[in-house]
Amino acid sequence: MKPADKKAYDRDYALAKKTGKPFFPYAIFKDTIVAGLTIVGIIVLAIVVQVEVGEPVNPATTDFVPRPEWYFYFAFELLKIFANQDVLTPVIMATFMVPNIMIILLVVWPFIDRGPERRIWKRPFAMGMIVIVTGMLCYLTYLGANSPAGVASQGLPVGGLDEAGTAGMQVFMNNGCGSCHMVAGVGAPGPGPDLTNFGSKGWDEAKQIAWLKAPNPPMPSYASLPPADLEALATFVNGLGTKYK
Amino acid sequence: MTTKDIGPKNPVQKSADATIDYVDERSGVKTGTRWFLFRNIPEGTSWFQTLGFTAMVVFGMQAITGIILAMYYVPDTRGGAYESIQRITEEVTWGWLVRGMHKWGASVMIIVVFLHMARVFIWGAYKYPRELTWVTGAFLLLLTMFMGLTGYLLVWDQKAYWATVVAVNIFASAPIVGPYIGDILRAGPEFGPATLSRFYSIHMLVIPGAIATFIGLHLYFIVRLGISEPPWSKRRLRIERDEEDARREAARERAKALPGAVTYPATWPAKAEEGVR
Repeated sequence: MKPADKKAYDRDYALAKKTGKPFFPYAIFKDTIVAGLTIVGIIVLAIVVQVEVGEPVNPATTDFVPRPEWYFYFAFELLKIFANQDVLTPVIMATFMVPNIMIILLVVWPFIDRGPERRIWKRPFAMGMIVIVTGMLCYLTYLGANSPAGVASQGLPVGGLDEAGTAGMQVFMNNGCGSCHMVAGVGAPGPGPDLTNFGSKGWDEAKQIAWLKAPNPPMPSYASLPPADLEALATFVNGLGTKYK
Repeated sequence: MTTKDIGPKNPVQKSADATIDYVDERSGVKTGTRWFLFRNIPEGTSWFQTLGFTAMVVFGMQAITGIILAMYYVPDTRGGAYESIQRITEEVTWGWLVRGMHKWGASVMIIVVFLHMARVFIWGAYKYPRELTWVTGAFLLLLTMFMGLTGYLLVWDQKAYWATVVAVNIFASAPIVGPYIGDILRAGPEFGPATLSRFYSIHMLVIPGAIATFIGLHLYFIVRLGISEPPWSKRRLRIERDEEDARREAARERAKALPGAVTYPATWPAKAEEGVR
């Protein structure tokens, strides 16, 4: 904004204030009504949809669905989008780049858009930005709300299982791997990558076990599993799409 | 305002006045109240401009219900945290309601803060001179989201635990500083008892303190700079119309000054425009 524009705004606002009304009671009156209705709404929600007590924490069984509160669904969905493309757009995009760029843009926005214009129809760029960002947030939240919890508990449609493979599949199901990974169309489509064809990567057992113990975030570590289970799980995952399909 | 002295005052009122005067002499409370409450705001402020106040009231409600919950909550992973949540929900009188209000209040606060921000954005109210009001507000939005993140773990059930493990892993994945942030949040390399008390302390001491500070700054800016006028207030529209008229008038004058210009009767174009309007 040029100094002349600033002066013009200051003069105009001083005039608006001069011909205005006192904050108390005119603004406070409206404020109190809206805030009061909001509090009443919260109390009604608390009575109608009562809180529940979930299952107690058990860090040993990883049979879980890692679902955040609804206002973090967008971040959760973002993870899914980037999870299956670990070459061009690694997960770091979803966990670090995109959120931080958005946060920085949010904070410094007044220093980017400095023009004096305030009318909606004369600011197409700013309006385009808010429509796109809000639309994306709503869409991702909607996806998150409707994403299947999809923990595979009945078994996976995988053939050719030998003894080690069956044991590995059992470990896979008991530890809720299916709440982040899909195998042959069963399980949640993210945040973890689809494992249907994981065997084609040609990992050996040691590499797989090392990964399970210290994976890349946001996947949690499975170092607490017994060594026999880790071995079976590694054999199963390494054979997906090759030995077991 | 001058008042006519009609005799000695009621002694109660007299001593009340004396007390107020005593406090005002030392604190300036009268000036402060006038500055805060009886400042003028532009006429025709909109209902959309009540959302900021609403967010603040919901924060107040969260503080009160949070204090009540803290009286019963035990941040102990070895049999305490989960059991105390169960006790609050099932045994404590009105406990289910207070916990329900706190939980729903969090969701409503996120929505209200977001709508408030959208209003400010759409109106261009973040422009000169209110840039720093926006910056403090943006920090308030981030702090509100951190409140949700840290509070989610405290109920200490499976869903909350594993969602928070994943969330902390996300923070820890940041380059260079990530591992340190992860260790700070977890209070060590592993999730455990220390993690819960750390989240509890961040949730009820660190972030509320930060939010209160930023609300103070935000309010100071608002009172100092005044709340913005709707871009389509009656007064603004009138000014824009007058400017448009002046521009047309100037164009007409220029056209008249051109060599060979046809001069119409002075009343004609004005009347034609009146009809359009």
